[in-house]
Amino acid sequence: MNLVKRASVVLTIGLLVSASQLLAKTQDDTEIKGPATPSKAGVVPENIDSATPGLMPTKPLEEIPDNVIAILDSLPEVKSNFIKSGKSRGVLKKEILFDLLSSASSAEAEEYVNTIISIHDQIEFKKDRDIESIELNKASPDFNSWRLKRPQSMNPDREPGPISLGRYLGSSSSGIPTFANAPVAFTPEDLIAGKVDVAILGAPLDMGSGWRDAIHGPRAMRMLRRGTGGTDVSTLIEPSSVLNIVDYGNVAIDQLSTERSVQEVRKMVREIAETGAIPIIIGGDHSLEYPNIAAMADVYGKGKVAVVHFDAHLDTGRGRVHLLSHGQPIYRLMKEAHVRPEDFIQVGLRAHYSKSYYEWEKEIGMKYHTMAEVERRGWDAVMERVIKEATENTDYLYVSFDVDVLDPAFQPGTGTPVSGGLTMREAIPIVRRLCAETKLVGFDIVELAPALDSTYVSALNANSLMFACMTGIAMHKKGMAEKGFISELSSDHGQDDYYGDKK
Amino acid sequence: MSDKTSAPSNPTSVIIASLTVIFLSACANNLNDSIATNVKLPPEDNIKLQLLNKDEIAFLRDPVRLRWFNLTEEKVLDQLAQRDEEGVKQYVTDMMATMNAASFQDGQDSTSNIKNGILEPLSTTADSTVIPLNTDAAGYNKSRVIQPAMFDKYKRTPGPINLQRYVHEQDGIPTFAGAPVAIRIEDLVAGKVEVAFVGVPLALGSGWRDSQHAPTVLRGMYGLSGYDIAGGVDPTLILSIADFGNIATSYLSIELSIDHIREQISAMVEAGTIPFIVGGDHSIMYPTVASMSDNYGKTKFSVVQLDAHYNGARGLDHYYSDAQSVSRLIEDQLIEPTNIIQVGLRGPSQDKEALEWLRKTGVKYHTMVEVGEKGWDAVQNNTIAEAKRADSTFISFDMSVLDPAYAPGAGRPVPGGISILQARSLVRRLCAETKIIGFEMLDVAPYLDTSYKTALNANYIMHACLTGIAMRKQGITGSDHIDPLAFTP
Repeated sequence: MNLVKRASVVLTIGLLVSASQLLAKTQDDTEIKGPATPSKAGVVPENIDSATPGLMPTKPLEEIPDNVIAILDSLPEVKSNFIKSGKSRGVLKKEILFDLLSSASSAEAEEYVNTIISIHDQIEFKKDRDIESIELNKASPDFNSWRLKRPQSMNPDREPGPISLGRYLGSSSSGIPTFANAPVAFTPEDLIAGKVDVAILGAPLDMGSGWRDAIHGPRAMRMLRRGTGGTDVSTLIEPSSVLNIVDYGNVAIDQLSTERSVQEVRKMVREIAETGAIPIIIGGDHSLEYPNIAAMADVYGKGKVAVVHFDAHLDTGRGRVHLLSHGQPIYRLMKEAHVRPEDFIQVGLRAHYSKSYYEWEKEIGMKYHTMAEVERRGWDAVMERVIKEATENTDYLYVSFDVDVLDPAFQPGTGTPVSGGLTMREAIPIVRRLCAETKLVGFDIVELAPALDSTYVSALNANSLMFACMTGIAMHKKGMAEKGFISELSSDHGQDDYYGDKK
Repeated sequence: MSDKTSAPSNPTSVIIASLTVIFLSACANNLNDSIATNVKLPPEDNIKLQLLNKDEIAFLRDPVRLRWFNLTEEKVLDQLAQRDEEGVKQYVTDMMATMNAASFQDGQDSTSNIKNGILEPLSTTADSTVIPLNTDAAGYNKSRVIQPAMFDKYKRTPGPINLQRYVHEQDGIPTFAGAPVAIRIEDLVAGKVEVAFVGVPLALGSGWRDSQHAPTVLRGMYGLSGYDIAGGVDPTLILSIADFGNIATSYLSIELSIDHIREQISAMVEAGTIPFIVGGDHSIMYPTVASMSDNYGKTKFSVVQLDAHYNGARGLDHYYSDAQSVSRLIEDQLIEPTNIIQVGLRGPSQDKEALEWLRKTGVKYHTMVEVGEKGWDAVQNNTIAEAKRADSTFISFDMSVLDPAYAPGAGRPVPGGISILQARSLVRRLCAETKIIGFEMLDVAPYLDTSYKTALNANYIMHACLTGIAMRKQGITGSDHIDPLAFTP
C-alpha cells in the first residue's frame, strides 16, 4: 500500500516537473537574448526604441488568405498597397479585417478599405490639424509664480542651519508636523551649516492614472509621525541620533502639468545632492522618478548610479502622447542615458503587462524581479540577488519605492493597487539592507494616496519604510559593513544556547 | 541682526503712534474707504526710507502688490521697524525683484534642451511657453477616434441596447437610470432619445481629484428612476432615456480633451437629445457650455451654475482649469455674462476682487449670505426669473453647492451650503419652468465619502431635473407647481 502510494507520488511529481518544463518551453517559444556587450555610460542604448510605438518600422501584413489577396488585387493599387503595408493594424486587427473582406462584395470591400484609410488618417498625427504642443498663457502676470521663492530678506535674520521647531527641553516637538519630526531647512546653506545627512523633500505631484491623491502623501507622512523615531529593533540603531535629518519642505509643483513640474523637482533634488546630503523625496506620483534620478546623474555622472525600482508596475511605458507620466519614467531615464538598462533593477512586478514588455526589458538588458520569481525562488533568494546586483556595476545606488509594491493589505492607500504584493516583513529588511550595504545617494517613496485609506496603516507603513532606509543610512555612516547585520542583543535573549550557535 | 543696529528710541511705537493718528483722522473723513488706503507710510524723509527710490516707495504704498505677498501697509510698517535703512532697501528690492520674476522673462525659454548631445525635452519645460508632446506617438489621436459601425463584427440595427434580461430587473449591469445603452449617435437618433446621460471622467480639478470615478459610481447607485411626489410624474416612464457611455479624455491634460468633449456634446445635441453630463471636474464646463453656444447661439440660453465657487480666475499661466471655466467662456465670447446666474457662492476664493469682477462683467450671483439674509424662496424665485430671460437653460451643478453634510464626496467642499431639499426644489423648478438644453453634474469625488449619500444625492438631483423635464413634456410649466397628491386634503 505504502510503497504504491509513494511510487505514484514520485511519478506524479515527475510528470508535473516534465509537464511544467514542457509548458515553459512552449510559452517561451522565441528565446530573447540580452545585450552582447554592456551599455556605455552616458550613451543612449542603440536598441532603446526597438519596441517603441510610433518608432518601430511598420511590418507588412503576413499570412493574407488567398481570397483576401484576390479581393485586394481588384482594388486600385494605392488602396491594396495601403492594406498590404500593414498600416491598417492601427485601425483593425488583421483577423477582423480578413473576416470583413472575405465576405464582402468588391464594392463593399472598397468601402471598407476607404474607411480604414480615412480612420488611419484621423488616428495618426497630422501637422496643423492636431495639437502638437500645449500652449501656455505667456501674457500671464503669474507665469512663473508657482515656483517663485520667498526672498530670505522677508524673514527675520538668522544664521544658516536647520530650524528647530521645538519649544521644550524635554521634547523636540512643538506640534508642527514635519517629516520624522525633524527640524526644517530651506536652502543649501542650511544643509551645509547643519552638516545634514538626509534631507526629506515633499513633492506632491498628483497626475496618476488611477485613483488620485498623491498630492496628500507628504502631508499624511508629516502628520502621522509614528514609525519614524526611536531605535530599530533589528540593528539597535537610532537613526535620528546618528544622522542629521531635516524636513526640506515641499518642492513647487504645477498641478496641471507633470512636464513643467519635473524641471523644478530636478533642480531642487540636485541642490540637495550637491551639498552631499541624501535626498529622500516623498511623492507624489511615480513620474518623479525621472527628475529625481536625472538629478542624481547631474551630480554623480551619467550611467554612474544604479537604481532599485520597487513597484507592482514596470513603468517602462513609451511612445505615448505625453512625454512623461507615472507609467513612463524608466524609459525616459534610459532614453536620455541617465541610467544604463543593466543598472535598472526592478522588484515586485506583477501588474498585468504583456509579454512584449518583458521581452524588451530582457533585450535591452534590464534586471527584473517579478512576483513570479518570488513564487518560484522564495523571497530570501530574490532579496540576496537584488542586493548583489545593486552593488556590482556602480558605486552609487538610488532606491525608488512605489508603495504599491506592497500588498494592498499593507497599503490600501495607493492609486493603482495590485493584489499579491510584498509584505512589510519582506520590504523592511531589503530596504534597510540596500540603504546600509551600498553607497546610497537618494531614495523616494511615491504613490501614497491617503484618501483611499480611512485608517492610519498606509501612512504608518510608508513612514516605517523611510525609517528602515534611514536606519540603513545610519549603519553605513557608522561603517557597519557586515552583510545582513542583525543585532545579537536584540535577536537572542542569550540566557542559553538554544540555537546552538553562541560564540 | 538688523534690529540691534536700530536707533535706541523705539521706532515701532513712534511709527505706530503716528500711524494711529493718521488712521483715525482718515477714518473720520472717509468712512467708506478700506483700511488699506488709509494707512500711510511715514513721510518719505523718514530715515528708514532714505535709500528707497520713487518706484520702491510706490511699491510700499500699493495695496494690490503688497497683497500678492499677503501684506498690508500695517504689516509692512512692522517689518520696516525691525530693519535699518539698508535692511529696508534689501527687503523692498527683493520683493520687487521677486514680483518682477513672476511674469514670463524675455529669453527665459532660450536655454537649449540638448544636454551633452542628448535631447532632454523636459529639461526646460518650466521655462518654456509650451508643453511639448510626443508627435511620434503611434495612434496619436487613437483614444478619441470613434469606431465606425461598419467594423462591427456582428451587425445590428441602430437603436439603444437594453441590457436587462428580465422585464423587471434591478441591479444588473449598471447604467445611468437603468437606461439602455447608446453607443453611437445613430443609436440616439433611432431611439428618439430625449435625455442622454454621458460620463466625462476628467479629474484635473484644484481640489481632491476623484471625479473621474463619478460616472461609474453614479451608474452603480440607484435614485435616478421612478416616481417623484412633488412633480407627480415618473420621468423614466415618460421620457426616452439612454446611457451614452463615456467621452474619452486625456488624464494628463485638459487641453487635449476639450475639443473632443465639445464635438461629442454637440453631436448629442444635434441628435435631438438633452445631454446629462456627469463629470469630471468643473473644467469641463468650458467645452459643454461652448457646445451649447455653438448649437443654440451665445445669447439664447442661460447658464444656472449651482456652485460654491465662481470659477472666474483670470490671468493664469494655464488657459484651462476648473478655477477659470467661467472667465474663459466669457473671454472667448461663448456666452453673454449677464446670462450666467450663480447660486450658492461661499468660501475664501469668492473674495472681494472676485465679487467685484462678477459685478463688473454682469454675472448674476447669489451668495449663501444672500440665502441667509433673504431666505431660500426669494433666491430661488429670483434665480428662476433671471433664467427665464433667455430662451432656454443649461444647468451646471457643482457638488460643492451642497453642504458637506449632504455631499462629503465633493472635490472642493465648503461648509455652509444648501440642503438636498433646496437643491432638488430649485433644479426641478428650473427644469419644469424653463426649457432645459443640458445638465451637468460636476466634481463628485466618490472616494471622499465612505457612505452612499453623496452618490445618492447626486442621482436624486439629476432625477429632480428629469422630473421637471417630464412635467414640462406633460404641459406642467406653472410656477412652483406641486402635484396635489403630495398633500392629504
